[in-house]
Amino acid sequence: MIATALMSLLCVFAGQAQSTTGRVTGTVRLTSHSSRSPATAYDRRAVGPRARALAESRNVVIFFADIAASGDRAATRASVAQKDEQFVPHVVAVTTGSSVAFPNDDPFFHNVFSLSRGATFDLGRFPPGSSRARVFSRPGLVKVFCHIHSQMSAVVRVFDHPWFTIPDDQGTFTIDGVPPGQHTLVAWHERIGEQRARVAIRPGQNTEVTFTLPVLEPAK
Amino acid sequence: MRAPRLVTRTLVSSFLTVALVLGAVFTMLTIRVREQVRQSVADNLASAQQVFTLVEARRQQDVRAAVATLAENPTLKAALDTWLSERASASERTSRELLATVQRECDKMAERVAADVLAVTGAEGRIVASSGRLAASWPRGSIIEGRTSATAATDRSAGVGSRVYHVISVPLQLGEATIGSLELGTALDSAYARELADLSRGHAAIVRGPLVLASTLSAPAARDLAGSLGDAVADASTLTLAGESWAVQPLQQLGDVTFLALASIDAAAAGQTTAALRSLAWVGVGAIVLAAIGSVWLARTLTKPIDQLSRSLTKMTMAGRAHESVALSGSSRELDQLTFTFNALMASLSSAEADAEATYLGAVRALAAALDARDPYTAGHSERVSRFAVAIGEEMKLDAVAMETLRLGALLHDIGKIGVPDEVLRKPGVLSAAEFEAIKMHPSAGARILRSIPFLAPHIPIVELHHERPDGLGYPYGLRGDEIPPLARIVHVADAFDAMTSARAYRSGRIPVEAITELRKCIGTDFDGPSVEALIAALPRLVAAGEPVDSVVFQWAAHRARSA
Repeated sequence: MIATALMSLLCVFAGQAQSTTGRVTGTVRLTSHSSRSPATAYDRRAVGPRARALAESRNVVIFFADIAASGDRAATRASVAQKDEQFVPHVVAVTTGSSVAFPNDDPFFHNVFSLSRGATFDLGRFPPGSSRARVFSRPGLVKVFCHIHSQMSAVVRVFDHPWFTIPDDQGTFTIDGVPPGQHTLVAWHERIGEQRARVAIRPGQNTEVTFTLPVLEPAK
Repeated sequence: MRAPRLVTRTLVSSFLTVALVLGAVFTMLTIRVREQVRQSVADNLASAQQVFTLVEARRQQDVRAAVATLAENPTLKAALDTWLSERASASERTSRELLATVQRECDKMAERVAADVLAVTGAEGRIVASSGRLAASWPRGSIIEGRTSATAATDRSAGVGSRVYHVISVPLQLGEATIGSLELGTALDSAYARELADLSRGHAAIVRGPLVLASTLSAPAARDLAGSLGDAVADASTLTLAGESWAVQPLQQLGDVTFLALASIDAAAAGQTTAALRSLAWVGVGAIVLAAIGSVWLARTLTKPIDQLSRSLTKMTMAGRAHESVALSGSSRELDQLTFTFNALMASLSSAEADAEATYLGAVRALAAALDARDPYTAGHSERVSRFAVAIGEEMKLDAVAMETLRLGALLHDIGKIGVPDEVLRKPGVLSAAEFEAIKMHPSAGARILRSIPFLAPHIPIVELHHERPDGLGYPYGLRGDEIPPLARIVHVADAFDAMTSARAYRSGRIPVEAITELRKCIGTDFDGPSVEALIAALPRLVAAGEPVDSVVFQWAAHRARSA
């Protein structure tokens, strides 16, 4: 998260210095319509008081779909904590070769595994306080689960370029250092899918984009 | 046809009464038992329904809990979620592996809960994997109806292929999101109906609209049930199926499927009625035995005195002792009254008979006396001959009937002389041949007279034949010896003895000794020997009775003593 922000900041400075690249800023608006989850014999699992989930906008990934990968991209580090039987954050985006750490912040064992094509792995079970990490070398979508707590899941999106971001709690985002030209900007959400927008990037200029995603929010 | 005996009649009437009462009791009992059984069967069904509801709710809770636990399978969820997100872009091999993982997990879970069908669906409700006995009819890609309705309860009915299923749906959740569901399908078939029947302790049927999906009823009963489904089955408490009366109770409603509990009222009533009948049969046997004993006793108290009475009457009639009276039995007032009346009737009858006889006798005596009075010499002749003849008869030990005949016959023996002219009868001296012939007509004339009186018929031989002689020289027929009736022989001797000892118009009476000698001399020719000897033997008694032969007998007795 911090790494991504820093990276964005660096891009912004680079853009201002050279002005050969453009910037895109925008907002993701999440229109929610609540649905009642199906009744079950028992309440949904709740071991302890659940931490307030992050804003739904943090589960959206904004990225350019059709810019050819350039050579200069730095491997970064990201972290997905396991806290209160949840992966926090639920969605993380990294460049290829980056390592994602999975610290166990709960007072009980956790596990991390994936069946996804991009990275099939099982980090095994590990005790409270410890952490496991995994390097994602292939671009794509990796779903991560915990074998001990079946309702836990996380998504790692791996890109072979640096032009992607995750909006903040208010849904605003910025991507700097974008090569000029006509590009396709994608807003992706795990349950909704993708929404695409054509954007024209001009050097040294800012382009505004607004996405409206109908997110299903479970009733409280 | 003979009239029935009293015993038969009392037996039949008492038996009929008992049978009638038993029949009425049986009918009422059957009706009441049926009513009570109907009520109790309905109550049983209602309580069974309550128990069923509790048990079934608990069972469904357990099943849902089991399926909910299954829905926490992390491998299944991970594989499903990964497959769902990758199926568009992933290679076929990877996709197949993920699906195989989902299928494998599904198989394991289906085996664990012994499900008819267990299916995993994606978020849009399409089946991703299915397993279980009937999985073939739930293929991948199909949607189980009603699934899309988010407001539906977890349980629902679903028609798939030719079967209808009870489907329990549990969502597969990842965090706050629902990625799909587990669908546990139980076929509503005859096995399910049997399970229901066990739970509700009776018969069960599963109906959907106008169709009977499954039931534990017999085929004809199930047909009838299907026929009556058009009516409001839920409200009906009794139905007639295959000719039997059934109590019906809805157990549960699942979507458009209704579960019914049924119990046969007739079958239940049959057992109860049999029990009631058995006790009734004992009562009936007791009542019949008591009635039989009672009627036999009644008949005996009635018939025994009557029987005795009729028997003694019969005996009396046979013996001809009509003048005897029957003893009162004392068994009942009516019978005693009857006996008393009978006795009185018999007494008056026999006294009337005696009066009639006396009257006859008087008339005959008068006739004889009138005859004797025609000739002063023969006055009292008939009376005397009668007495002598009776004396001879007593000596010869004749019976009472013969004695009576003898007495009257002797009295009337000369009645025929009524037709003989006085001048012949009173003529002193020797009669001419013609006159004697006139005299000889008198026995036949007497017989003719007597024939007109039926009462005197037994005396006719005496009158007609009292002048016959053992040697055949008598008149009118000239009979010999034994051909002559004994009574006629006796009267002949008595007549001769009186004639000899009496004065006649033509001669004076000889003394008895001479008369006896004369009689003895003529035994075998003129007189019958035993009769003569009997007369001689009876003479002392005649004297004792005050006969006018007094003096002569003494003389005779003295003479006899001398000659001895």
